[in-house]
Amino acid sequence: MWRRIGSLFRRGRLDRELDDEIANHLAMQEDEFRRAGMDPESARRAALREFGGVARACEQYRERRGLLWIETTAKDVRFALRGLKRSPGFTAAAVLSLALGIGANTAIFSLFHAMMLRLLPVARPQELVSLYRTGGWGKGYTSYPLYLEVARRSDLFQAVIARSGVVKARFSASAGAHAEFARREFISGNYFRVLGVSAALGRVFTEDDDRVLHGHPLAVLSYDFWRSRFGSDHRVLGQTIVVDEQPLTVIGVAQAGFRGVELEQHADVWLPAMMRDGDIMQPGMNWVWILARRRPEVSSQRIQAAVNGLMQAWLESAYGNNPIAAFRKTAMEQRLEVRDAGVGISLWRDRFSQPLMVLMAAVGLALLAACTNVANLLLARGARREQEIALRISLGATRYRLIRQALTESLLLAAAGCLGGVLFAIWGQRAILDILPAQANLPLAVVPQGAVLAFTAAISAAAALLFGLAPAMHSTALDPAAALRSGRQGGGRPTLRRAMVVAQVAFSVVLVVMAGLFARSLAAIGSVDLGFHGDNTIALKLDFPRSWKPAEVRAARERFLAAAETLPGASSVSFGFPAPFQGGSAFATVHIPGSEATTVDVARIAPRYFETLGAALKRGREFERADTANSGRVAIVNQAFARRFLPGDPIGRTLSFDGVEQVSIVGVAPDMRYQDPRTPAKPIVYAPAEQMPDNWEPTVLLRANARAEELAPAIRRELARLGSQVASSEPRTISRQIGESIFEQRMLAALAGFFGLLALVLAGVGLWGVAAYGVARRAREIGVRMALGARRDAVLGMVLGDALKLVLLGVVLGTPAALAAARAVSSLLYGVKPADPATFALTATVLLAAALLATVVPARRAAGMDPVRVLREE
Amino acid sequence: MSKGEPKPGILQGTLDLVVLRALAAMGPQHGFGLAKRIQQASDGALDLNQGTLYPALLRMEQKGWIKSKWGVSEANRRARYYEITRKGRGRIEAEAADWARTVAIMERFARLAGSE
Repeated sequence: MWRRIGSLFRRGRLDRELDDEIANHLAMQEDEFRRAGMDPESARRAALREFGGVARACEQYRERRGLLWIETTAKDVRFALRGLKRSPGFTAAAVLSLALGIGANTAIFSLFHAMMLRLLPVARPQELVSLYRTGGWGKGYTSYPLYLEVARRSDLFQAVIARSGVVKARFSASAGAHAEFARREFISGNYFRVLGVSAALGRVFTEDDDRVLHGHPLAVLSYDFWRSRFGSDHRVLGQTIVVDEQPLTVIGVAQAGFRGVELEQHADVWLPAMMRDGDIMQPGMNWVWILARRRPEVSSQRIQAAVNGLMQAWLESAYGNNPIAAFRKTAMEQRLEVRDAGVGISLWRDRFSQPLMVLMAAVGLALLAACTNVANLLLARGARREQEIALRISLGATRYRLIRQALTESLLLAAAGCLGGVLFAIWGQRAILDILPAQANLPLAVVPQGAVLAFTAAISAAAALLFGLAPAMHSTALDPAAALRSGRQGGGRPTLRRAMVVAQVAFSVVLVVMAGLFARSLAAIGSVDLGFHGDNTIALKLDFPRSWKPAEVRAARERFLAAAETLPGASSVSFGFPAPFQGGSAFATVHIPGSEATTVDVARIAPRYFETLGAALKRGREFERADTANSGRVAIVNQAFARRFLPGDPIGRTLSFDGVEQVSIVGVAPDMRYQDPRTPAKPIVYAPAEQMPDNWEPTVLLRANARAEELAPAIRRELARLGSQVASSEPRTISRQIGESIFEQRMLAALAGFFGLLALVLAGVGLWGVAAYGVARRAREIGVRMALGARRDAVLGMVLGDALKLVLLGVVLGTPAALAAARAVSSLLYGVKPADPATFALTATVLLAAALLATVVPARRAAGMDPVRVLREE
Repeated sequence: MSKGEPKPGILQGTLDLVVLRALAAMGPQHGFGLAKRIQQASDGALDLNQGTLYPALLRMEQKGWIKSKWGVSEANRRARYYEITRKGRGRIEAEAADWARTVAIMERFARLAGSE
């Protein structure tokens, strides 16, 4: 049989055989002519003439050989289609489980591909590296002076690029036009040249467009933005647009498909780095993400070592003389990691990569479970068709032909599953993107294509072999005479099917345990005491025109707050920077009498800040309207601060704060978590906004009596009253924003839950199939037992017990695997141990319950049999 | 290609019958032997392009009418020997019946034409 399958791949040998045969033929003919008296040369030519065109004969021969393959395949496909049509239930179950398995893999892989594998559409992307800052404050971004330092290292890099983050900025398509938002990126002048990105229209920046501070009011548009916002109008060249109140001349449109170098943030408009306002040379201002094209001849280790040295020297020169030891220490902890950037840079990739690996493994397992399920269904069908197969074997069908037919059927099933999987993946991708934060802008294709589609096709084909081969071999390995003689369905004990059910149960154990652990993590994160209650607190950011004076801004904000406070359902309003889960942070130096100066977090807040956040002060009072710039300086500290710096009662004690002496502490706030629900609160000092003005626009907070989301329309109306020049973020509750901030946990819990359920259902179907088949096969035995007086509940118990044995075996085998998997993902768990006994116990219980549910129908059928009828039928 | 005086070409389909009959009569035979036998049997009246024999042999093998195996020829050469199968013998009868029917029909037409 294998010789025949192999013949498809051994064309070469068959061709040689044909050549041999023809050569022999010619030699025999030649011999004969020579015996008849011809000279060798004319004998040879005569032989060739008699044969009549060796090449043509070979060609016809080969054509014939190929034709057979096509004919047989077409016949097999027709045969398989007929067979599938005859058993629609089987076909639907098989295609559905494959579609779910393949679709889940496609959806996760498309995410994986977009996050981890897809190269940027730039020249030689594999040469690109990014210098990722770690340690110290924040990550990724660094400062412009450091960029200049790195750019000098032409011994390591061919060229070095600076780019800012992509930020939403106010935008008007022309001076005086309606204000909108566009995503803006500041870039060094060499950006496009180094990346090898050309202009679709006009020109892109060169080094000469980025030399003089604030001296190049120019803009390059992204192709997508040009198309969507300007309708691909060529007259955009030379037009003046306004970005963040700066009038800029459009000089060009970048080539189609290029959306910047950041994975989840795409730029609409590029500005020269020199156009950024503020002192761009400040060493502590981290706004530049350095990208470089490395010299291929310099090893990665050498580049990293050289960058380490450069960074140390730079930190020493920038911070070495800082008088505050704590600040200096944090500053000196900063490092620059040289990372591959050919796949784009991303602040998310670090957070995302491990959950994605886990999900890839989980969907792989889910597909295995689906394959096992289909294999099981095929075996069941094979058992029912035993007689037919026996008949065909005795009529001369070879085993090879039967297996080939069975595999054709498997491939058809896999093809249908692949198609269904693609549809499912389209839906699944959308569901996953819904879990991701709204600002996420992952470039996922709506319909899988390219590498993703190839992946889908490959796993479908692999699945077909996986689930098709064993049943095909199994059902054709029978003794036709015995099968025909026995005259009934089912041969020996169906060990293979039982093994597959055990495997399914084991897969389910792993996936259900994962789902349980991630669900418990999510619940643990949800039940963390954040120090405040954000369910009914809406947070929003206001954005005022830059030309407004501070007094104007303040007046407008006050006007809005006053109006918001009187909205029906509103209970209090306040503002602050930073506010919990709104991003941003601020530091200040504090000096407590009797201890060393240190750097701590600081927040500038308005009266009723804690009340509006649903937090109760532990001691003392909130800031009041009376705490103004002219009154005595006051501060509130949180418990963590008090514990660390002010043992005893902090109220009434003083500290010197940000250069101001004699700031007295009037209150102690609870420890509120600001960035991540999993990170405990750090020491923080609160100061009245009135006493500590700052340029940062604070977050406006509004607490509702109930159902804060219902206030959103009224809030939007009030915002509109501020005029079209004032922009605002979407009013949303802090709880929702927290939910988004832990998207990877929600994604893991949701997807693992889905795959766990899928595996459970598949295992249930498998169990049901084995139990139902077992009952049918043992009908006679059961009949005899019952005729001999076995009670119905004994029969019921026998069938159920049989199924439970399989489940128990599966649980026993699956548990160590689940434990290993849980250990591997332990860093993603929060508030639950990998070996959480409750989760494992619950998993076993759920599987046993599912097993009972799946077997109770066949078991009752067995118990309800009429022994007389069964035995007569036999 | 032989460019002598025109001889009738072999009819599509009849070659199968000729080969099967030859194999049935001679037992296992290699391609050259078969070609010679067919030419001799037809007294040279049939112009058998020897090369066309091989694709035909493959087709018949695929249909299961003949089978082949490698052996050693009289002149001590390695050659592929073809042999008729049970299915092939059945085929001869079917083909012969077909042929007889075709001939009978043709003869009837010939008589009709003659009587006019």
